[in-house]
Amino acid sequence: MQVTLKIERYNPEADESRQETFSVDVVEEATLLDVLDVIKDEVDGSLTYRKSCRMAVCGSCGMRMDGAAVLACKTPMRPVVEAGEVPVISPMGNLPVLKDLVVDMEPFWAKFRAIKPYLDDGGEEPPVKEWRVQQEELDRVMTEALCIQCGCCVSECNSMEADPDFLGPAALAKAARFVNDVRDRGGKSRLEIYNGPHGVWDCTRCYFCNQRCPKGVHPRDAIAKVGAAIYQEGMHSDGGARHAKVFVKSTHQTGYLLETHLVPETVGPVNAIKEIPFALRLARAGKVPNPLKPHKAKKLDEVRKLNKLIESQEQATLEAANAGPTRPPADPAQSKESE
Amino acid sequence: MKSSYAYYPGCLASLSQKELDTSTRAIADKLGMTLVDIPGFTCCGAGDVHEARPEYYLHLNARILGQAEQLGQDTLMTICNVCTLNLRQANAKLQADPELLRRVNRNLKEVGAASYSGGVDVRHLLWEIAEGDGYEKLKQIAEKPLTGIKIAPFYGCQILRPSRLLGFEDPDRPQSLERIIEACGAEPVDYPSKIKCCGFPIVLARAEVALGELIQPLAEAKEAGADAMVTPCPLCHLSLDAWQGKASREADMEFDLPIFHLAQLVGAAAGLSYDELQFKRHVVKAYPVTDKIYQGV
Repeated sequence: MQVTLKIERYNPEADESRQETFSVDVVEEATLLDVLDVIKDEVDGSLTYRKSCRMAVCGSCGMRMDGAAVLACKTPMRPVVEAGEVPVISPMGNLPVLKDLVVDMEPFWAKFRAIKPYLDDGGEEPPVKEWRVQQEELDRVMTEALCIQCGCCVSECNSMEADPDFLGPAALAKAARFVNDVRDRGGKSRLEIYNGPHGVWDCTRCYFCNQRCPKGVHPRDAIAKVGAAIYQEGMHSDGGARHAKVFVKSTHQTGYLLETHLVPETVGPVNAIKEIPFALRLARAGKVPNPLKPHKAKKLDEVRKLNKLIESQEQATLEAANAGPTRPPADPAQSKESE
Repeated sequence: MKSSYAYYPGCLASLSQKELDTSTRAIADKLGMTLVDIPGFTCCGAGDVHEARPEYYLHLNARILGQAEQLGQDTLMTICNVCTLNLRQANAKLQADPELLRRVNRNLKEVGAASYSGGVDVRHLLWEIAEGDGYEKLKQIAEKPLTGIKIAPFYGCQILRPSRLLGFEDPDRPQSLERIIEACGAEPVDYPSKIKCCGFPIVLARAEVALGELIQPLAEAKEAGADAMVTPCPLCHLSLDAWQGKASREADMEFDLPIFHLAQLVGAAAGLSYDELQFKRHVVKAYPVTDKIYQGV
């Protein structure tokens, strides 16, 4: 079949960008990476892109097709050809372009290093040769452990476009992998890293990361797991956690969001005073509900009891997780294994 | 389109964005949809409770779904992106895991709340009128075409992504709003960030980041010649409308872009008045566009 691509080219020596169109004949099973290989082999050897494993494991060939980040090796071209489309191939977003489709991954790795991507066992000796992790304990981190660090999630992160220092979905998914690792003893000091000004509360929940991840890691869900750990540890110093606290309180007090509490309790009383002219503009349009007569849900007692019941169950789960890995039973087979 | 729905307006449409609830009820009447109120519904917890206390979020949403079921309705209709994702995500989890559903129901029973069997579907108003007989009905009621008005569709995030949970249309090339704009006789305007984030979830905790996100769709829609913008989400609406002044100062650009709720767009085309659709409750004045609609000037 014949595939036509428009490829964004960038020449760093001349600092020149241009779009070039290539048409090549390829086998019907060809992926985007196969097409690039044919172009490089047969048409223009200067075309530059990263690749290695060709099987969606190494995470090298992240790039954009029509603005959406994909792994080139995991993207079949037949449906594109059958739809009569000529896609634009460009480098991933949110990372500096080095040449053609190659981006500089250093900012990406710097964020990985920043989140302490290794197990902190707190110096505690395992009871046998190694810590024994039960299947259900492993299951808690398995989704995030699937990450191949390709950068497709980072490419389209809306918050990172506005704040390039945001730790971002890939690094925070890795953070979730350690936060929920039953062997990890990083505790609050680990969570403090993720609770910083460019940490979890920067996430705007655009869900592009979940949409783009080629491995099903669901980075946004991972960020929420880290947020939950921070929140449930009682770390409520950040405006993001305080914002969440208003929602929890609202469901308990009235069943509905206490909109008038959001500004003062998220930004603090001093900053809230600066927002008074803004609040007045909203009030003139009828957008400020009467704080003295909050709208109350019917059957509110059900929700209040539910909140308290679930809170006690969450506390029990948190205590169990903080107790560490399941201790292996002291049976002879295990002692033998430990020798 | 169904003839009747358990209707879940959520918090914003019940509070600061009341014009959305009023307009939705008004167009439902025109469309022949019966909206059955859910007595005792609460907040879905938004992304906040979902993040901070996922177990509590799951139970809050299970309780709402159980209440809808108790009304004898098999479909719950939402008018907010965040409510849609929250309810659908909880629903998908409960429907896929009978043991989890049993555990959640034990807790609901303990507090005296209605249990949930897993039999409710959650649908946004947008999906009900963007295809099939709902779309045909929409075309019938759009008696006052909004001829000559250019409208920028703004989808917002949580009606498109993650498509595994939402799945109504291609999250990268959605067309539902465009189809509805056309059915209303107006002209859809295309621009790249119509599928991006409005920044609202973090507009208080991270104002600068949120404004950075908000400026993009406003600037692009304006550049593309839009007279107004329409969104299916009251949170996006609040961001695009109430925070537009701040975005304008931050970007040093005049936007003056009226933002319509989806139900207001449909309502205007169906001949409902400025007052019935409560356009006066907007921060960015809608009259430069509504004057064209209602007075032809």
